[in-house]
Amino acid sequence: LSACFFHHGLSLDVPFPSSHEATVALGSLSPDREPRKGGISKQLTVSGSTLSVRWSADEARILRVSVSSFLDHLSLVLETMQKFGPPVSQ
Amino acid sequence: IYSISKYATKYLTCPMTVVIGFEGSANKIGIGIIRDGEVLSNPRRTYITPPGQGFMPSDTARHHRAVILTVLKEALDQAGLKPADIDCVAYTKGPGMGAPLVTVALVARTVAQLWGKPLLGVNHCIGHIEMGRLITKANNPTVLYVSGGNTQVIAYSERRYRIFGETIDIAVGNCLDRFARVIKISNDPSPGYNIEQMAKKGSQYVELPYTVKGMDVSFSGILSYIEAMAHKMLSSGQCTAEDLCFSLQETLFTMLVEITERAMAHCGSQEVLIVGGVGCNLRLQEMMGVMCQERGAKLFATDERFCIDNGAMIAQAGWEMFRSGKVTELEDSWITQRYRTDEVEVTWRD
Repeated sequence: LSACFFHHGLSLDVPFPSSHEATVALGSLSPDREPRKGGISKQLTVSGSTLSVRWSADEARILRVSVSSFLDHLSLVLETMQKFGPPVSQ
Repeated sequence: IYSISKYATKYLTCPMTVVIGFEGSANKIGIGIIRDGEVLSNPRRTYITPPGQGFMPSDTARHHRAVILTVLKEALDQAGLKPADIDCVAYTKGPGMGAPLVTVALVARTVAQLWGKPLLGVNHCIGHIEMGRLITKANNPTVLYVSGGNTQVIAYSERRYRIFGETIDIAVGNCLDRFARVIKISNDPSPGYNIEQMAKKGSQYVELPYTVKGMDVSFSGILSYIEAMAHKMLSSGQCTAEDLCFSLQETLFTMLVEITERAMAHCGSQEVLIVGGVGCNLRLQEMMGVMCQERGAKLFATDERFCIDNGAMIAQAGWEMFRSGKVTELEDSWITQRYRTDEVEVTWRD
């Protein structure tokens, strides 16, 4: 029902070398909630070796802030994986 | 007997527990490694802003992102350890600034998954207390926790670090930092350090408001007063910047000693431990020392390596928590800007 109030959306697909790495990124990026209470929703999923993010927001300004901070976070996680990976096999 | 867990297996073959701690709740980013009470490494970087400016959350987070992986490599290299040698990854869950906290938590979560190690979210205040206890060997002290973001008098009772008194507005370190901005004192290495050095040259005491309210203290009125008066008094030659530094320190620290003494009297405590960034101020230690001597009590304090935010303190609190059987699941590893000291159940003390 609340979806009808959202006027702005964005989808982002991030390819990873393997599904394990995509899952590690999902695990690192998922726990923190959006800082603001309403006006935006963000969903992260992994399918195969792709991490997908879907945003919907009721203002472009709020969407831009969320996407920009997500990209900062993603690039830090990628850099951490490059320097301190590859993942150990379980 | 064959279903024994991989962690239990490790205890049987090697009883040492190694914890890496990630801290970055304010303008310091630190990563430390502790092995059974021994600090193996504890590198740190500080985000220093120009005189007259404080540190903003997003700029501080950018600073932390830029250096955190270099600091992580230093921590491992200085300890001479490989990721496989580590048993648990501890990080600051809160309290603190949101953006810097997230930055540090992201790296902690990622390496914990890459290395296949359990994760542990630590309360920053508990980190200070446990590091102070480790370094000074204080047994059951009344704790004065004083920093840029926190001012609390704490005593342990029945599985909680209980807050006996605290600031009802801004932290004592925030009062000092903002006074430093008013008269453009350098933030390098820290505003508080520079105020401490200038205060030694002060000779005239300028009377300031004194605001102890029962067990609590208030600093915002003192700050407003000195903000309003400083430039007038300095330009008229009524006093010097050194006099203001001296007067502010004496007033703030007297208030802190008063509420600490009251908590000690209440608890019948004979030990005081000072922790937090302001705790490395030698004048505060001296004043607290006089009060302790008069009561026949003992004062414990540490130097800037362990008083000021650092990674080892998170590793040490993490070590205690991990050894008492705690871990944080990935989905529960969210950071929180508000996280009171007394919210944590202290499972590692009697």
